[in-house]
Amino acid sequence: MSMESTRSANSAKRSFNNNSNSASSNSNSNPSNKKKKTSQKTLGVAWGSNSRSSSRSSFSNSPFSNFGSYMVEKNRKLQNQFEAEASTSSHGGSGSVKPIFDGVSIFVDGFTVPSSQELRGYMLKHGGRFENYFSRRRVTHIICSNLPDSKIKNLRSFSRGLPVVKPTWILESVTANKLLSWVPYQLDQLANNQPKLSAFFTLKRSSVSNGASTHAPCQVNPEAEDSSLKVGTSGDTYFSEVSEPFEHSKQISGESDDLVDENSNASLVEEPANSSGKPCEVAMAVPSNIDTEDESSVKNYLQSNHYQPSALVSSNCINNQNMKGSPSSTVSEPSNQSHSTLGDPNFVENYFKNSRLHFIGTWRNRYRKRFRTLSDGFNCTSSNIKASALKTAIMHVDMDCFFVSVVIRNHLELRDKPVAVCHSDNRKGTAEISSANYPARDYGIKAGMFVRDAKALCPHLVIFPYNFEAYEEVADQFYSVLHKHGNKVQAVSCDEAFLDVTDSEGDPQLLASKIRREIFETTGCTASAGIAGNMLMARLATRTAKPDGQCYIPPERVDDYLSQLPIKALPGVGYVLEEKLKKQNVWTCGQLCMISKDSLQKDFGLKTGEMLWNYSRGVDNRLVGLIQESKSVGAEVNWGVRFKDVKDAQNFLSNLCKEVSLRLQGCGVEGRTFTLKIKKRRKDAEEPTKYMGHGDCENLSHSTTVPVATDDVEVLQRITKQLFGSFHLDVKEIRGVGLQVSRLESTENSKQGLERNSLKSWLTSASARTEELCKNNYVAKESSNQGCEGEGDETLGQLCGNSVGLSIQMDSNTSNGAACLNEVSVPPPICHLDMGVLKSLPPELFSELNEIYGGKLVDFVAKNKGKTENMNHTLRAYSHEKIEGAMKEGQAALLPSMVFQNEIPVENKAKQHIAKEVPAVSGAESFVPASGLTKTDLIPSSLSQVDTAVLQQLPEELKVDILEHLPAHRMQVFSPNVLLYPTEIPLEALGTKTAENNSGSKDFVLDNNLWFGTPPHWVEKFKVSNCLILNILAEMYYKSGSTGNLSPILQCISSVSIHQLDAFQDGWDEAMYILCELLKQYIKLKIELDIEEIYVCFRLLRRFAMKSEFFIQMYNIVYPYLQALVGENYGGNLHMSLKD
Amino acid sequence: MNWVMVNLWVKGAFERRRYMNLVVQRACHPQLRDYIHSAVFGLLPFIQKGMVERAAVIFFNTDGIPVERFVFKLAVNQSYGSKVEDANLEFSLRSFLIKLSVSESLTKVLPRDYRWEITAYFRSLPEASANKDVEQWIPTDTRQWEQPPLLTPIKSMSSEPLCVQLYIEHPSLSEPKP
Repeated sequence: MSMESTRSANSAKRSFNNNSNSASSNSNSNPSNKKKKTSQKTLGVAWGSNSRSSSRSSFSNSPFSNFGSYMVEKNRKLQNQFEAEASTSSHGGSGSVKPIFDGVSIFVDGFTVPSSQELRGYMLKHGGRFENYFSRRRVTHIICSNLPDSKIKNLRSFSRGLPVVKPTWILESVTANKLLSWVPYQLDQLANNQPKLSAFFTLKRSSVSNGASTHAPCQVNPEAEDSSLKVGTSGDTYFSEVSEPFEHSKQISGESDDLVDENSNASLVEEPANSSGKPCEVAMAVPSNIDTEDESSVKNYLQSNHYQPSALVSSNCINNQNMKGSPSSTVSEPSNQSHSTLGDPNFVENYFKNSRLHFIGTWRNRYRKRFRTLSDGFNCTSSNIKASALKTAIMHVDMDCFFVSVVIRNHLELRDKPVAVCHSDNRKGTAEISSANYPARDYGIKAGMFVRDAKALCPHLVIFPYNFEAYEEVADQFYSVLHKHGNKVQAVSCDEAFLDVTDSEGDPQLLASKIRREIFETTGCTASAGIAGNMLMARLATRTAKPDGQCYIPPERVDDYLSQLPIKALPGVGYVLEEKLKKQNVWTCGQLCMISKDSLQKDFGLKTGEMLWNYSRGVDNRLVGLIQESKSVGAEVNWGVRFKDVKDAQNFLSNLCKEVSLRLQGCGVEGRTFTLKIKKRRKDAEEPTKYMGHGDCENLSHSTTVPVATDDVEVLQRITKQLFGSFHLDVKEIRGVGLQVSRLESTENSKQGLERNSLKSWLTSASARTEELCKNNYVAKESSNQGCEGEGDETLGQLCGNSVGLSIQMDSNTSNGAACLNEVSVPPPICHLDMGVLKSLPPELFSELNEIYGGKLVDFVAKNKGKTENMNHTLRAYSHEKIEGAMKEGQAALLPSMVFQNEIPVENKAKQHIAKEVPAVSGAESFVPASGLTKTDLIPSSLSQVDTAVLQQLPEELKVDILEHLPAHRMQVFSPNVLLYPTEIPLEALGTKTAENNSGSKDFVLDNNLWFGTPPHWVEKFKVSNCLILNILAEMYYKSGSTGNLSPILQCISSVSIHQLDAFQDGWDEAMYILCELLKQYIKLKIELDIEEIYVCFRLLRRFAMKSEFFIQMYNIVYPYLQALVGENYGGNLHMSLKD
Repeated sequence: MNWVMVNLWVKGAFERRRYMNLVVQRACHPQLRDYIHSAVFGLLPFIQKGMVERAAVIFFNTDGIPVERFVFKLAVNQSYGSKVEDANLEFSLRSFLIKLSVSESLTKVLPRDYRWEITAYFRSLPEASANKDVEQWIPTDTRQWEQPPLLTPIKSMSSEPLCVQLYIEHPSLSEPKP
């Protein structure tokens, strides 16, 4: 009752305040008017005096003393005009209804949609003001759609602290017929780029406000709470008071349930929760695949409800009270207190004690300690990655609804009944289901659902609390079984693991059933298993296998399996990514396959794009046993956080620090960067639906880095206190606090393990960083292996392209590498060296390397030579016979000289052919066997394997025959691949032949429209080309934003230094030819409708031509063609003045 | 076939105005304004029918020799009819006109007493009887260049219903000087 009265008093006060505000604003405006009048007077005086004193002034003829006074006068006139217009057009007139934009005065900056005139019209109509000239005093809002960078950077001086709002604010205010808050309409450029929680809530906002209005008392809550907090000690009584009215309603509605707190909350808002949020987020490196079972069900849930992503974690609300075993909780007040930071001194501790995610997060440490020796053992063996080139078999084992089945493993009678796990089984509660078994899922019960909703779906649902001891026990048993059957086990979570069973004898499927049987026998819980060639597919197989089954996806079925698989099934594809992809009309992996890697990387970033590209093809290069080191350790509490005063908050923080410190110590790491995250209640946020949840919040974070890593509690507390102070917050507004420690360093000096892991991840990610040359060789080989493995169906032509790309890279790295070599004490084993790379080394480097290896390198290369010859036989047998036997001999003789990169003696044409073709094949050699492609066909898999020169010599019918047998889609690669061969062939000698080649390849170029398709054909073609300049062009295509226009590409190129484009010698003519062709086709394409584009391109080209010999030639070839076409279409010549 | 409306030269300034949310130059003199307006609107029906291939603003000296020609090359997609969504067009047209307003650097210094006219190049001769608007247009007597001119593209805009290209024509360097 007292609350009521205070509230009304409050509101009365408020309204009074409002009145006084408006009154004051009115009274404010009056003096300002007066002021204006007086200023006018002074203006007159000033003018008079001025005219008297100075005749020099340029204003002497005008009635204004200076520009300023002119503007004053002009503004006054404009205002009068506006007012006059307003009085006629305003439909409200001086009626009782207050116009929408009363007191709003806008200034429109720059181009807007709708135009400033329209905005002016709106202001006229609805009682606002429109200023033609900016003035800090008169303008209240700046309207603009876009700001230049300079203004963004110096916003204060531009806006003078006034809100900068998009024009939609006005439009929507007019539509809503009331003045809306401008905050959501703030200019995007100014708004924080980081996503805010509010974005997720906007969808729900309207429905919630509806809900709130039907339960008016609910709105009181925040205020009431505040006031009670101000009183300080009255916190105890507060809750009972507030809940009183709700109890009434509850009785009326005939609900006779026990719990006061949760019930009252439940009846508060009928709407299903906008705000449940994440009560607990374990910031430890919990990988996204903690719990497949849960995750997938939550995902379903997400999909069906379009719920905010934070719900993913929200299934884990922790309710101290129930865990404490007070099932009926008759006393409402104390239990109330224990829920929040208000009353429970050990809140932090209890919070984490009852957090499932915390359990999972910390479980990893426990596992690592327990199985350290085992996992270390296999880490060493698995570093021999060569095995991955063989047919691998990966098994993924996952317990079926772990959190439920463990709890009911001793209740046989419940096996087929719907059971769920939740920290609270209060049937009206907003506690969330953490996990549900399959019978329960049949009722539509999903993780993350509120208990009351679940009960509504299935009234006889049995709910169990967590039993963390049991989870630990079963998880240990589970892993004991797994480690018994294979030493390559990678733990994903407490109930989920990968096994590499490549080396195990026997059928992996049999092994899987054996493991599953043993798991069931020891733990009493069922597990499902998936077997496939890599971790991704194994995991997807488990998805099919569930529950209590197993599934094997053989490599040949991968494509089938994936083609219809919905994208959200892929690990790493969450709600947001899924929505983005759906916008592009991608629903299945099959559709995802259609998108090129580059456009994926462009849309989703380098890593995610690559992941999507790989995953949609069933490619997964991760190795079992690769344990990701945690990047950060932290703890976050977003539930039940309510502070009375600063002391409360400090107390809470120091407890949080203790927890984080314990976690750091548990992980054996120390950190240098500390980030304090605060969830601050939004000004207009209502009390969240979720009991004690954080509701609508702003996320704030500050971080600091210290020079020396630490895990010390006191240091943590000191740092945290400082960080907290920097927020300058009202502690009562805080709804969540998180502390995260990153830049971790290992406490012990056991850094070897770390290093090995990082090196391996480095290898698998196929990123070729510059380190020691030898290592780099190794990496190059590994990465190309991996590439081959994944792209099994890619043609070898591509592989060759890869290899060339790599060796080019190697070349650029050599100087670096050579420097590093001196520091390398132990070079990698000789068998790890890549032939392809060795061969492309400059002779000096090779001899240096040879020295390091004590001359063994030469033998190694020689040995490989034999292999190469074999390859030649198999790969090229088809065309082989056409070449004279003498050449075959010459081949062997020539090879070493090729290897050492000596000048090839150009004795005759025939020999040159061989010289050209040998490296081509040997380049492919190192990849073909490694790739595991069992290409035993006699015909090379693509044209890129065929030497063009040889092809040219063949009789016509044979040529046709070969071309027919080769995959048609690789045909374009034909001409650029002539350039595949090392540089030593003198250009003049090549000259005759390229001419021939041109005649051959012309057909392709002319037939195919290079600019057809997206990306245009030439891009793919140039990408696989061996010619640097063509590569650059293709690369620039993507860099420039893949518009399909040439000018942005050329613009990008102009940022590269042009003269270095001349640095290539090989394939000059070929590149010239194809580029000219490209340009000609482009001109043809654009001449009719976009002469501007052509003009821009040629001006750029001309600029290039000033610096580059290559471009001069090209320009001179294409220019006449261009002018001819322009003349044809426009009756004139393009004006290419040489001045600019 | 060239059809010219009237040509006259008024020594009056244009003033900067804001029209359709754009900065434009508008003739101050009401008659000049009318001329431009009627010329452009007179062209409209022909443009809609796709009969106009190019429209040019030609500046010429007292001898009637063109010095500079601003050519608008038009391609109207007839199949669109009235279905065109103006929102799409608006932005491309806007960019077009903005470019026009900054193309001054491309222009030449004009001789003192120069004149200008609006010329439309028709694909086919409009039938005089069909439309009385046609009567307003008269054949031009402006002289032609003897050599193919030099083109400087200013802006090309291509949307599906309408493609417009604007370029400036200058006399070729080998053009005999008057």
